[in-house]
Amino acid sequence: MIQLRNIQKSFGNQLVLKGIDLTVNKGEVVSILGPSGSGKTTLLRCINFLERPNEGEVMVDDFTVNSKQASKKEILTLRKKTAMVFQQYNLFKHKTVMENVMEGLLVVQKSSKETARKLAMEVLAKVGLTEKANAYPVQLSGGQQQRVGIARALALNPEVILLDEPTSALDPELVGEVLEVIKRIADEGITMIIVTHEVSFAKDVSDYIVFMDQGEIIEEGTPTVIFNYPKEERTKRFFKRINREAGILESNLSSVI
Amino acid sequence: MQIDILFIFTALIEIFKALPLTMIITLVPLMIGFLIGIGITLIRIRKVKGLYRLANFYVSFIRGTPALMHIMLIYLGLPLLIDKLAGTFQWAFQSTSIPILLFVLMALSLTAGAYMSEIIRAGILAVDQGQLEAAESIGMTNFQAMRRIVFPQAIAVALPNLCNIFIGFLHTSSIAFIVSQKELTGAANIVASNNLKFLEAYIAAALIYWGLTIISEKVTALLEKRATVYNRGGVA
Amino acid sequence: MDITLIIDFFPKLISYLHITLLILVAAVAIGLIIGVTIALIRIYKVPAFNRLALIYISFMRGTPILIQLFLIYFGLPALLTLVHIDVSRANPLLFVAITYGLSCGASFAEIIRGAVNGVERGQTEAAYSIGMNEKQMLVRIILPQALAMAFPNFANSVIGSLKDTSLAFTIGVMDMVGRGNTLIASSLHALEVYMTLSIIYYGVVLCLEKGFSLSEKKLQRFEGSLAVDTK
Repeated sequence: MIQLRNIQKSFGNQLVLKGIDLTVNKGEVVSILGPSGSGKTTLLRCINFLERPNEGEVMVDDFTVNSKQASKKEILTLRKKTAMVFQQYNLFKHKTVMENVMEGLLVVQKSSKETARKLAMEVLAKVGLTEKANAYPVQLSGGQQQRVGIARALALNPEVILLDEPTSALDPELVGEVLEVIKRIADEGITMIIVTHEVSFAKDVSDYIVFMDQGEIIEEGTPTVIFNYPKEERTKRFFKRINREAGILESNLSSVI
Repeated sequence: MQIDILFIFTALIEIFKALPLTMIITLVPLMIGFLIGIGITLIRIRKVKGLYRLANFYVSFIRGTPALMHIMLIYLGLPLLIDKLAGTFQWAFQSTSIPILLFVLMALSLTAGAYMSEIIRAGILAVDQGQLEAAESIGMTNFQAMRRIVFPQAIAVALPNLCNIFIGFLHTSSIAFIVSQKELTGAANIVASNNLKFLEAYIAAALIYWGLTIISEKVTALLEKRATVYNRGGVA
Repeated sequence: MDITLIIDFFPKLISYLHITLLILVAAVAIGLIIGVTIALIRIYKVPAFNRLALIYISFMRGTPILIQLFLIYFGLPALLTLVHIDVSRANPLLFVAITYGLSCGASFAEIIRGAVNGVERGQTEAAYSIGMNEKQMLVRIILPQALAMAFPNFANSVIGSLKDTSLAFTIGVMDMVGRGNTLIASSLHALEVYMTLSIIYYGVVLCLEKGFSLSEKKLQRFEGSLAVDTK
């Protein structure tokens, strides 16, 4: 179980997270939606202390880190329990696909080379990239790179995988393959927290939806409730705008056809 | 260890008098080298037949050998050539009447030419091809376009490198002391051996070079700001 | 002028090439140790030391190698007499190695610092996200990428140092140029000696350039077809 208690974060004198509480149960997929600048990416980065919260506690798997007195060692332990998938993939450029996936196993989990290799091949098979094992990131498409990013996170067998807008940097035609992989691992019961703009994907894959705006959680609940019966005005407006944009996109498409 | 701090000041003043010669040995080669550099760059960019290979060899050879070699080859080789020509054409002229400084300047001009050509080339290649096309599209000749549009932009791009080469040549000019030029290092050498205070004299020389370097870095920073005004984004 | 003398001088001079290369190797080795240390001090802005590092780099960048050579040659023995070590009879090679090492150290430090700062922030974050500590992140992720990026500048700097070694003879080192001077004294054919020396230097530089460009390809193979000329 992952629990965030009263997470606050400010940059300079601007408060970007105003005390967030959130509980994610084991095996759940939670999507965080909201307009840009709402603080959702910052919240995700606070979970593994890539951003250190000013206030609050992060608990992962009964291990609690308090933002005020977190030691380096505690932060390291927290990070070993989590893994992240980045918007810009952030694959280690000087390592092959295989080495990228093995890196955490070898260095952090101290697995033997053999075990690491075997595990790496398994997860690469899951994301459908076994034949690219010896390629360098630069030789891959964005979609392939992101699938490696997912494999790298998956290999560590973390308590939770944090996905930060995993498809935002991709060309539209490459979004599908990545979403498909995420969907597949979601079905395996891996706990995930996803920050995304892909509303229909979130609806499809999530057990729980969190809607954020201006550093606060405005509304949360199951997809059915949130998408069909949003209570808050801001949530309704957000979905209306998204739908309109999707509509425009569709009408554009049809006019092309 | 005894360092005569007071003597450092005395030496400083004495050595400083040699600054004009250091400046001549630094700046003259850079200016001539700049012209050589432009010539070489044009030959290399336009791939002029025959000359192209020669230019490449010149740049590669100069960059591949120490500046001391250039000075020595010119200083020792050119007089032989001149005397031979003088003998053939019955000139009443001997190479010994040419001051050594002239050979140093010639040699370092050749050195500078090679390095300058690399800097200028990099600058010109950095200018967007569209600039040249735009200039030609409004009816400029290729020469006009190069001179009025491409070149000024290339120089702005090359400015940091031009500063570096100035500092480099300021330091390279110290080699001239080996052929007994009384520039800063030569003067330091004289002050040192006359007073048998070597360390103090060289500390003084070091301070002067260091100061000059820092000043030129500051000046470049200012120039860079001005030269790239047009390069700023935005409207303000 | 007698061109055939070049053939005569060539073996005599090249038999001293190893001294020149020894100076270069020692300088690069010392330079790497100093360079990495100073770069780390600058990157982490270690209090007090950062200032010292700045002054050191500025001084080395601000003075000719010839002056640095004289300062070490006259200054180091004076400094060491304070602790009762007498190096006045030490091989001048030692002073040369130290001077060129210090000089390389300053330029390597700036090259490494630039390259480390050039590695994307995302690489650090990714390393942290899989649970690496700071040292693992630095040693396994940042430095390998930074060194590969720094390599072309590093190669240029090494070639520059090789050419600088031609000045070592001024404090009495018997390298190629030192040997050349004794040849001049005995043969009175200075021009031919310097022509031979130039040919040898040029040859060595061409070999180094070739070697460096091969290693560069290997080092930066992960940059793939997107490799950019950093010059």
